[in-house]
Amino acid sequence: MRSLVYISVQLSVILLVAPLVNGIIGKVKALSQKRKGAPFLQMYFDILKLLKKNSVVSDTSSWVFKAAPYIFFSSATAAALLVPVSTTIMLQGLPGDAIMLISVFALGRFFMMAAALDTGSTFGGMGSSREAMISSLIEPSILVSIFTIGLICKSTSLPKIMIAMMGFGFPLANSVFILTFFALLIIIIAETSRIPVDDPSTHLELTMVHEAMLLEYSGRHLALMEYGAAVKQLVFITLLVNVLIPTDQLISIAGVGAVAISLVFYLIKVIFISLLIAVIEVNTVKYRVFSIPNLAALAFILAFIGFLQYFVFGGIYV
Amino acid sequence: MSDFSNTLSTLILLSAVLLMACKRTKSYIKSFRLQSFLIALAAGVMGTGNMLKDGQFELIVVCLITIILKVILIPNILIKTEAKVEHKVEKDFILNIPILVIICCVLIVFIYASISNIEGLNEGSVNLQMVNSISIILIGLLFMISRKKAIGQIIGFLVIENGLFVTAMFVTNGMPFVVDMGILIDLLTAVIIMGVMVFKINDKFDSINIDKLRNLKG
Repeated sequence: MRSLVYISVQLSVILLVAPLVNGIIGKVKALSQKRKGAPFLQMYFDILKLLKKNSVVSDTSSWVFKAAPYIFFSSATAAALLVPVSTTIMLQGLPGDAIMLISVFALGRFFMMAAALDTGSTFGGMGSSREAMISSLIEPSILVSIFTIGLICKSTSLPKIMIAMMGFGFPLANSVFILTFFALLIIIIAETSRIPVDDPSTHLELTMVHEAMLLEYSGRHLALMEYGAAVKQLVFITLLVNVLIPTDQLISIAGVGAVAISLVFYLIKVIFISLLIAVIEVNTVKYRVFSIPNLAALAFILAFIGFLQYFVFGGIYV
Repeated sequence: MSDFSNTLSTLILLSAVLLMACKRTKSYIKSFRLQSFLIALAAGVMGTGNMLKDGQFELIVVCLITIILKVILIPNILIKTEAKVEHKVEKDFILNIPILVIICCVLIVFIYASISNIEGLNEGSVNLQMVNSISIILIGLLFMISRKKAIGQIIGFLVIENGLFVTAMFVTNGMPFVVDMGILIDLLTAVIIMGVMVFKINDKFDSINIDKLRNLKG
């Protein structure tokens, strides 16, 4: 019963909120260019419309091309179950931990790259080679930053980490956690193909990474791919806000009211991080592909200095 | 209060690494400005603490002077100098940026491993701040030898100075006022003189690349 409640709340929150993040970022970008911009709910309309349409599949493609959207979307949804949106309703004995989270994402990404190679178009191959480069550059920093937090909280299970982080009050006042925060922010930008790494709104051949891989998709396959990418983005944001900005220790009541208040807090935090990402996106330009290692090196060194501070000074001064 | 100082000292170290990752002259002047602002913030936080404790207001004055000199005046002088010398896009550093950032990382590990358990500084938090600040000095040195343009050298010098200032501030809770003032005014003079030198180098050699200083000129 408890697990049923957990799964339904988790899925409904993440699946419903995910396209909103893109809406907020798009709106902020449009306002910064003195345009009105699409409404906040535009991505919901797009997905609904695309889901109603048939998709066109190339004759030369194999089963990988047709299976990839489903695998990508279901891996993103499975990852959504591993990161609790609120500590008030989560399961203590949740199977799977942070390392599992990363590998589930890697599964989805592998099939996306394989499908892009499958049709044999030039753009697909270019996009998947770039995606492979970016993900292999970014993955060390994800692992180091999650291990740092895991060592401090003495567990790699995300619910346990979240409960332990609630004991620190406001973790961002601490030097180890603020390093991890910035590292995770760079990781989110790189993983969700935001502007310094990849431009999500362009279809220019030379610059696109994520869009190049989706170029051959249409109809409901495209809808699943885009929805999956939005869910993945929200899962990363959830990881960031619920681990490093815990607010559930402020709630004193119990029961359904606590869940509602904690979800409201969660929404506020997600909107805040979306605004932050939008501001970063407005203020930077897209980097050359060969400049991305600079960004990855920066993310790695941020995560690594945090790790070092934990190791040399035995963690934290609270 | 020491909590904020820890975080601020780490952020100052980060801004030094960020400076190392910058490619263009304008962007590293901007990062230097950010670093100076963070240092002024740290001085302001510590100065407020001192004032509440025993009524010393010297660090707050130092904070204001740092804002005027290092955040506003010196970066403006550098930007003006940069705008007046000839614009030439050339490869500015000896190694590529990821390797430089990783060398920074090695330097930080070295400093952490060697002086994190010095005797005499009993509290761990002071050690953390000191280790971070000394890393900034070494990163400044690395910055100086890794850039080829004369403005990069000036910035490297300024970063070393920032590191020394921060070390002294965090370890001793603020140096004597006269010493701080002397250093800051020296710094302003040094930057003005170096700016003039950059003009001269540009006049003589048609470039501010220091590799070309070896060429003989009549």
